[in-house]
Amino acid sequence: MSASALISIREVTKRYPGVVALDSVNLDIREGECHSIVGENGAGKSTLMKILSGVITDYEGDLELRGERIRFSGTRAAEAAGISIIHQELNLVEELSAAANIFLGREKVRGLGLLDEASMERAAGELLQSLECDVDPRERAGALRVGDQQLIEIAKALSLNTEILIMDEPTSALTESEVARLYRVIERLREQNVTILYISHKMDEIFRISDRITVLRDGQLVETVDREATDPRRITHLMVGREIEATSFDEPRKPEGEILRVENLSLPWPGHAKEWRLRDISFSLQSGEILGIAGLMGAGRTELMECLFGASEIPYQGEVVLDGESVRFRHPAEAKAAGVALVTEDRKRLGLFSQMSVGNNITMCTLDELVSMPLRQIDRRKETAAAEESISQLAIKTSGPDAQVTSLSGGNQQKTIIARWLRTNPKVLLLDDPTRGVDVGAKAELYRLMDSLCRDGLGILLTSSELPELLTVCDRIIVFCEGRLTGEFTREEATEEKLMEAATQLE
Amino acid sequence: MASNPGEGIQGSHSSSSLSRLYSRYATECGLLIAIFAVVVIAILIDPTNAYLEKPWYNATEILRHASILGIFAMGAGIVIISGGIDLSSGSVIAFSGVICCSIILGLCQYAGLVDDTGNPVTANLPVWILVAAISGTLGVAFIVGSFHAWLITVIRLPPFIATLASLVGLRSLGRVLIQDVNRVFTSNANTQIYIRDATYKSLGNEWYIPVIICAVVALALFTLMRSTVTGRHLYAIGGNEDAARLSGISIEKKKWLAYCIGTMTAALAGILYSSYVGGAMPDRDGLGYELNAIAAAVVGGCSLAGGLGTISGIVLGAIFLRVVIDAVAKTVKDNPDEFQGMIVGLLVVLAVTFNELRSQKGDRKKFFPGALGIVNIISLTVLMGIVAVLVTSDGDSSTDDSRDKLFAGCIVAGVTFAVLVARKMFESRPAVGQGPVPVPIPITVNVRDVSSTEDPSTEIGKQEIEGREPGGEDDEGRDS
Repeated sequence: MSASALISIREVTKRYPGVVALDSVNLDIREGECHSIVGENGAGKSTLMKILSGVITDYEGDLELRGERIRFSGTRAAEAAGISIIHQELNLVEELSAAANIFLGREKVRGLGLLDEASMERAAGELLQSLECDVDPRERAGALRVGDQQLIEIAKALSLNTEILIMDEPTSALTESEVARLYRVIERLREQNVTILYISHKMDEIFRISDRITVLRDGQLVETVDREATDPRRITHLMVGREIEATSFDEPRKPEGEILRVENLSLPWPGHAKEWRLRDISFSLQSGEILGIAGLMGAGRTELMECLFGASEIPYQGEVVLDGESVRFRHPAEAKAAGVALVTEDRKRLGLFSQMSVGNNITMCTLDELVSMPLRQIDRRKETAAAEESISQLAIKTSGPDAQVTSLSGGNQQKTIIARWLRTNPKVLLLDDPTRGVDVGAKAELYRLMDSLCRDGLGILLTSSELPELLTVCDRIIVFCEGRLTGEFTREEATEEKLMEAATQLE
Repeated sequence: MASNPGEGIQGSHSSSSLSRLYSRYATECGLLIAIFAVVVIAILIDPTNAYLEKPWYNATEILRHASILGIFAMGAGIVIISGGIDLSSGSVIAFSGVICCSIILGLCQYAGLVDDTGNPVTANLPVWILVAAISGTLGVAFIVGSFHAWLITVIRLPPFIATLASLVGLRSLGRVLIQDVNRVFTSNANTQIYIRDATYKSLGNEWYIPVIICAVVALALFTLMRSTVTGRHLYAIGGNEDAARLSGISIEKKKWLAYCIGTMTAALAGILYSSYVGGAMPDRDGLGYELNAIAAAVVGGCSLAGGLGTISGIVLGAIFLRVVIDAVAKTVKDNPDEFQGMIVGLLVVLAVTFNELRSQKGDRKKFFPGALGIVNIISLTVLMGIVAVLVTSDGDSSTDDSRDKLFAGCIVAGVTFAVLVARKMFESRPAVGQGPVPVPIPITVNVRDVSSTEDPSTEIGKQEIEGREPGGEDDEGRDS
């Protein structure tokens, strides 16, 4: 209850049927500080932020703003009190201009109720300039890069005279240079005495920008610490409540012969200034090996995986050799039959059947093996047995194959999708950023899973947006930059600096 | 649930197989109870005792109509489950009537079944003509369905547009075609064809034939959707098309199948309907039926977003719609057909509202916020009053009649107004801690009538939800 507390959260509890999302949380946010909130998925970070920003209005406990009790009736009320939130999923109207988005709902008007476009554009331009964002305010929001779109949201918040800005994992879709710009923007906001609440998974970011760090776990506040008085290891420990052993795979894996070779693969990019999404990519993958692909967003990692899996809309050039045979898949079904499996980047959009049960999700790719004659109807007993086998094999935490897949945590959903593809007995497993949105504990489990699959003779191609992850699990790492292969490192040679250098190697 | 996985596991173990069965078939159970309730209520308030006096006749009539609706509702429902929409069924019904009757006329000419003036005689048709006509009609429906699938998967039109074109185009084509057919095969250019053959007419007029056909189609489609790989893939495509493609499912073939099932079930219903009315009248046959089919599917638990719904639900949805329409027809004497649209509209809104409420458990729902709420309280009041005036049975003495009606209208309107205003006052109370407050909510009385389950914001509803497996709700299992 220090005198400088801007917001005090007092005994705030939020219950959902069957779940306590927040349990008597007490927290003071000081004026002008940058305060990070960390915790595993489901720890209650988002719920707390939604209460602060007026998205959730129905909770127990009190909020005090400058010592006065307040209760927001909605996001408008919170904005009026100076609290804005930038959601992880940006809230822009893509068809409207940047300026129109900034002034959405508070449009400036001239006489007769006509819009005053000119003055809105001028004001928007000034705001964006102050944020190092040199986009034209008349540009359509949907045509902008994600980093610029985010700055539009920040500009919107500033135009509301925001005193407290909540950012929910703001860097998850940014390139390194955009992240650097965001840090500068945050620095500038702090000079203007804006208080920042920053939610993130990434330790380096948190330790770089925050003054204090609050750890939530299972809806309870574990501890609030000064940055100077702690280190990432301790924070990780507080988040999971246990020490994560730096997953060590000391015993070296033994790659046993080439399973996949890519020669001079190029993917054209029709109608784009750069012409090629991928250009002259050549590498080989051995069975029993994890090959990492590093690269910034847009480097072509996902596109490569789509080519290898027959999921690319545009045909590629070059040759792919799988297990000694030249292949060219036109549909994922062909890739599946040949022993290639892809676990996609965007789990929710491209992977999960969220209205189905865990069991149905697991067996989706291998139903043909689970039918009985004469109508080729699905044999429920075989299906349940297959699902249960996969659940125990991958240690998926669920009440059983009949549980709804959406009731699982992110890590277990990811395991469900991996289980689906393991049932196809693949030779090559393509994992596109498999640990995105997965909490720390589940990440370690996924690493162990990859290791054991690899030791069983599977060849794994892994992309990740986090370099330390690649350095931990991969035998070799290749680096992409703007569609070209710009570096190849063995596990011993690779360091974060070397990888980042190769990934930013522009001509 | 994430914070306490142990509880979920225990819960699922302790739940008996009966409650498991219930949670799997919640929509079906609700509809069965609702159908029963509507029948009981109709028997109780029916002034002429029509149900009790002629129970057999009424039951068979309801079954006949529900079966014909059920056949093409299943087709529309499968398209909806696969993530699309088929607006063409009403027009396909009319068009297939034309095709079926045209084939019969043509084959009569071919077989020499003509009278002295050269007009075909359709009184005693050989069986092969009927078989050929029915197969030909189903074949045409297959072509129409394939055309839809081509427009949607190859040309990449939105399903709404592709089938909307058929909705408008096919009926018109049928009307043009029937005149030319008459000109070629008969001596006139009528806009109708009448078929006099007794066997043909019996198809739709013997009540058990549509019922048996519906049952056979239902069994086949139930097996397809519930137990085959193809069915599972259709649910997958409806639930997440991108994920389905990336799982190696051939989207195009599965959609082709779905749209063909859509048009071929409509054609089957069209043949039965044409047999029931004894010919083809493309300007009137099946007018607006596509919406009845979609309504039956939605009431039966299909989500227009795709991926959810069961064949059993759709069939019960069709029966429920028909039972309500028939019940209103029995209690309101004058021209029940005119009430049909109102009933279908009301039931669809209530069913979807109810599903929404079920998925929004825990949050206090405001029904009448602000000015929009006030306007709708007034409009609902007026609507209820008018409905009361319309349905008040017209007594024998015409002098008191209008006064009675007005009186009833005012009473119903007044009660509605009082209830809705009370609800609004309750909503506008400032929120007080402790989550959802258990208070019976007037408007949900209607909702309960439809699906006979409690509103989630009441205490009973809440316990029920908590008792279930976390996250599972009763949607679980509908996908299988």
